[in-house]
Amino acid sequence: MIKKFDKKDEESGSGSNPFQHLEKSAVLQEARIFNETPINPRRCLHILTKIIYLLNQGEHFGTTEATEAFFAMTRLFQSNDQTLRRMCYLTIKEMANISEDVIIVTSSLTKDMTGKEDVYRGPAIRALCRITDTTMLQAIERYMKQAIVDKVPSVSSSALVSSLHMVRMSYDVVKRWVNEAQEAASSDNIMVQYHALGLLYHLRKNDRLAVSKMLNKFTKSGLKSPFAYCMLIRIASKLLEETEGGHDSPLFDFIESCLRNKHEMVVYEAASAIVHMPNCTARELAPAVSVLQLFCSSPKAALRYAAVRTLNKVAMKHPSAVTACNLDLENLITDSNRSIATLAITTLLKTGSESSVDRLMKQISSFVSEISDEFKVVVVQAISALCQKYPRKHSVMMNFLSNMLRDDVSCGGFEYKRAIVDCIISIIEENPDSKETGLAHLCEFIEDCEHTVLATKILHLLGKEGPRTPSPSKYIRFIFNRVVLESEAVRAAAVSALAKFGAQNDDLLPSVLVLMQRCMMDSDDEVRDRATFYMNVLQQKQKALNAAYVFNGLSVSVPGLEKSLHQYTLEPTEKPFDMKSVPLANTPITEQKTEFAPVATSKLPEKPGPTRQDIYQEQLAGIPEFQGLGPLFKSSEAVQLTEAETEYVVRCVKHTFARHMVFQFDCTNTLNDQLLQKVMVQMEPSEAYDVLHYVPAANLPYSQPGSCYSLVSLPEDDPTAVSCTFSCTLKYLVKDCDPNTGEPDDDGYDDEYVLEDLEVTVADHIQKVLKPNFAAAWDEVGDDFEKEETFALASVRTLEEAVGNIISFLGMQPCERSDKVPENKNSHILFLAGVFRGGHDVLVRSRLALADGVTMQVTVRSSDKTVVDIILASVG
Amino acid sequence: MGLLDKLTVWLGLKKKEVNVLCLGLDNSGKTTIINQLKPSNQSLFGPLSDDWKHISQTQTQDIVPTIGFNIEKFKSSSLSFTVFDMSGQSRYRNLWEHYYKESHAIIFVIDSGDKLRMVVAKEELDTLLNHQDIRSRRMPVLFFANKSDLRESMSSVKVSQLLCLENIKDKPWHICSSDAVKGDGLQEGVDWLQGTILCVCVCVRTSPQGHLIFGLAVKLTVEVSI
Repeated sequence: MIKKFDKKDEESGSGSNPFQHLEKSAVLQEARIFNETPINPRRCLHILTKIIYLLNQGEHFGTTEATEAFFAMTRLFQSNDQTLRRMCYLTIKEMANISEDVIIVTSSLTKDMTGKEDVYRGPAIRALCRITDTTMLQAIERYMKQAIVDKVPSVSSSALVSSLHMVRMSYDVVKRWVNEAQEAASSDNIMVQYHALGLLYHLRKNDRLAVSKMLNKFTKSGLKSPFAYCMLIRIASKLLEETEGGHDSPLFDFIESCLRNKHEMVVYEAASAIVHMPNCTARELAPAVSVLQLFCSSPKAALRYAAVRTLNKVAMKHPSAVTACNLDLENLITDSNRSIATLAITTLLKTGSESSVDRLMKQISSFVSEISDEFKVVVVQAISALCQKYPRKHSVMMNFLSNMLRDDVSCGGFEYKRAIVDCIISIIEENPDSKETGLAHLCEFIEDCEHTVLATKILHLLGKEGPRTPSPSKYIRFIFNRVVLESEAVRAAAVSALAKFGAQNDDLLPSVLVLMQRCMMDSDDEVRDRATFYMNVLQQKQKALNAAYVFNGLSVSVPGLEKSLHQYTLEPTEKPFDMKSVPLANTPITEQKTEFAPVATSKLPEKPGPTRQDIYQEQLAGIPEFQGLGPLFKSSEAVQLTEAETEYVVRCVKHTFARHMVFQFDCTNTLNDQLLQKVMVQMEPSEAYDVLHYVPAANLPYSQPGSCYSLVSLPEDDPTAVSCTFSCTLKYLVKDCDPNTGEPDDDGYDDEYVLEDLEVTVADHIQKVLKPNFAAAWDEVGDDFEKEETFALASVRTLEEAVGNIISFLGMQPCERSDKVPENKNSHILFLAGVFRGGHDVLVRSRLALADGVTMQVTVRSSDKTVVDIILASVG
Repeated sequence: MGLLDKLTVWLGLKKKEVNVLCLGLDNSGKTTIINQLKPSNQSLFGPLSDDWKHISQTQTQDIVPTIGFNIEKFKSSSLSFTVFDMSGQSRYRNLWEHYYKESHAIIFVIDSGDKLRMVVAKEELDTLLNHQDIRSRRMPVLFFANKSDLRESMSSVKVSQLLCLENIKDKPWHICSSDAVKGDGLQEGVDWLQGTILCVCVCVRTSPQGHLIFGLAVKLTVEVSI
């Protein structure tokens, strides 16, 4: 049979996978030979292989057919063929979840695991533990305990690893095996010791005291296995991090002592642990770095790689500590292994001085074409970091980046291209001097760019930045070329970019209008629609229209808009659709990028899924008491109302609606001997706020978070009362329960727990909205309701601090990157944009001047008078 | 039969393999019986050969409730038995039927001291005999009225009455009382089983229609023609 198969395979002329064209039904048909007596081990083996292959290819087996095949397979236990038996174990493990009644093999496996044949025992244990559920575990407990302390290493290891898997399923049973695991941990076999340590740790990892006791014991007695040592180091460093223990603790001493271990593996693990510790001083780093330095000259490539990779990471945090290794790293630049060389260069780029940049860049460009994309991305990241450090070198870097873009037009994947483009964009944003060169390089890049995402991204950037450059006209050619040459998505993006030029630059407007007319004849609907839309807006020549429809797009959340429109179509009314009823989008928080990881943020996958607020909206809509509140306007970040490690942990999220607020209290019960019922938070407002309704959480068992809600109406008659303090008390019915089973007593008693006060501030009434073009928005709102006042911020010493305070106090979105205060300046203008509850746009311009404290002149514009008053009142 | 017996003895080295199902309620003594039938550390029929080594052939000391099933092998004078020793606990009884098709004989064990559950045993037996894989086949059924050593135990006659064994018309059956702990009565049962299995085969071979009813017969006829 097998021979025939091979022959067929040869005929098909490919030495490739013999299982390529397997049919599930045919294989299951073949599986009937399992029922024949006597058994032919060779054929059965082959069919089992096919079944496992199909399972691993993701082929779906129905329960009935899987069960039938499984039971046929169980008959193979009568054969004594070793290979066949072990294949059976594999099949059992694969089919454990898709077949019914897999426990049928329990006795057979138990027999194998206690039998005389050592080859069977380990695999049998692993298979047995896959098919065992909580109820059956008791039955095999005795065997497991024996197996853990078995003198055959493979058996003991199998039992330990299986126990580790079962900890998740039935912690309490496995916990009883601690003594056996303890005994296994003193085994002479390195793997057994490692696995035993792993099990012991996982049994205790929730109990910090027990973990530290265990660490103490093993660090004193010492271990034989280097794997176990590595594990100990990891546990110790985790514990250090959790307890925020000082670096004088015995744990740190232990890790440091491991630097002198005779196994390289342990030494590296210790060095890496020290290097990754937060707030490590240079003195503590020194021994770790010197160990890594030694590894740099090791003959083993893996060690060199590990060392240079770790040094590369340290270089981000402690460039000075790595400087000592510069000489060794220089040697590695010419390493035959390109991965090592690249890491060495990027590390040097991070640590090196400004003068060495040119030399290193030259070195990299000599072999950049030989390394893989992944490392090219690392190089780009290093360059990006470098640009921030030495802004004056931007021309060298920019040249290098554009060369990389140009040389690899044909090769080089999307990730790599994106890293370069992101890097150039971040350089442009950080460094105004480089804007023109950067844009020129990007223009050149999109001339020949196959990635739609990148092309649209660059076109968007051109539309934003291009019109403000001294000679905007030169970009128009590049943009219009796209309209002629590219795919629909890119053409549409190009049209939008063109419109922005037309709106911003009056002298270009006539030419843009001509181009628009040309775009209106495009073959694609979206492109035509956009062109027609912009054409009509631009022809009006009104600043306000331009601002609203060309520069600053919609600021609503897209899923929210979809839902509202759907709702609108369901209930036909005469009223036009009101955009203000749509929940606003949460502006992605554009964090101040940390100094050394600028491109790192762009590596996160962009999630198009629902935002946090949409999830809340969904949750709240499910509660009948909160029907009719309208769309959710804003959800705040969670506020802690208790200390971190108390009996009950309560966090509050404030949800703002048009005329109401809903407070969501996420409570966690950390006492395993109590069950809380009817949990609610009673609130006492300090102002004219009315608590309308409480929605209690019915049950709050140990460690399962539950939510209760309070509905509060905002004062109608006094719209300026935007801030309020609530004193909160957690009220509940306590029932004592058995910590092990969770079975509660019948009767309980009422109790309460005082929480910290909850503040509602003006920020809770304002949603952040990013206005890409603040000046246009400023004109659009107009000065109908404008007010201006001057304040002195006596307690603030620097401009950065003042800017930070204002942003967090008002909860508005800084625009035009005005949240970054240039160094060595005495004055700054901060632009803030937001939408006030009820849908009124609010814009704040605040001029700051530094002189003996900070003086602040605040100008507020809004479409509603009260809102202006509220903001100024709250600032003052 | 005499001829065939001689033939197999003459072939000697290679004994015919048959699959036997061992069924019955929980705690009736199935695993103990099978354990007794296995050779003790020194086999009656000479030392253990190599291919018997892996499956634990020799008797074990402690018997625990079976979960699922065990496969055991033992030999009689002319046959080699592969026994599927099924678990008797109620939640696993529905798994028996997976193994009906390929077995050649059934050993049904009854706890003769357990009057209370005799009805349950009868019910299980009836379901078994009416199963589509069993009903139409002439399959030998051997009953062990086990635990005869107990003082309150019933005689095999009484047990067969309670189970209405006389109603089984289309299958050869035999009941013998046994004491699995000591091993009394087991050999008698196995001897009957061996004889009947061989006889059934001969009957099939000489049946006028010439139909081969099941696999064993196929093999035996091949063997004979050699």
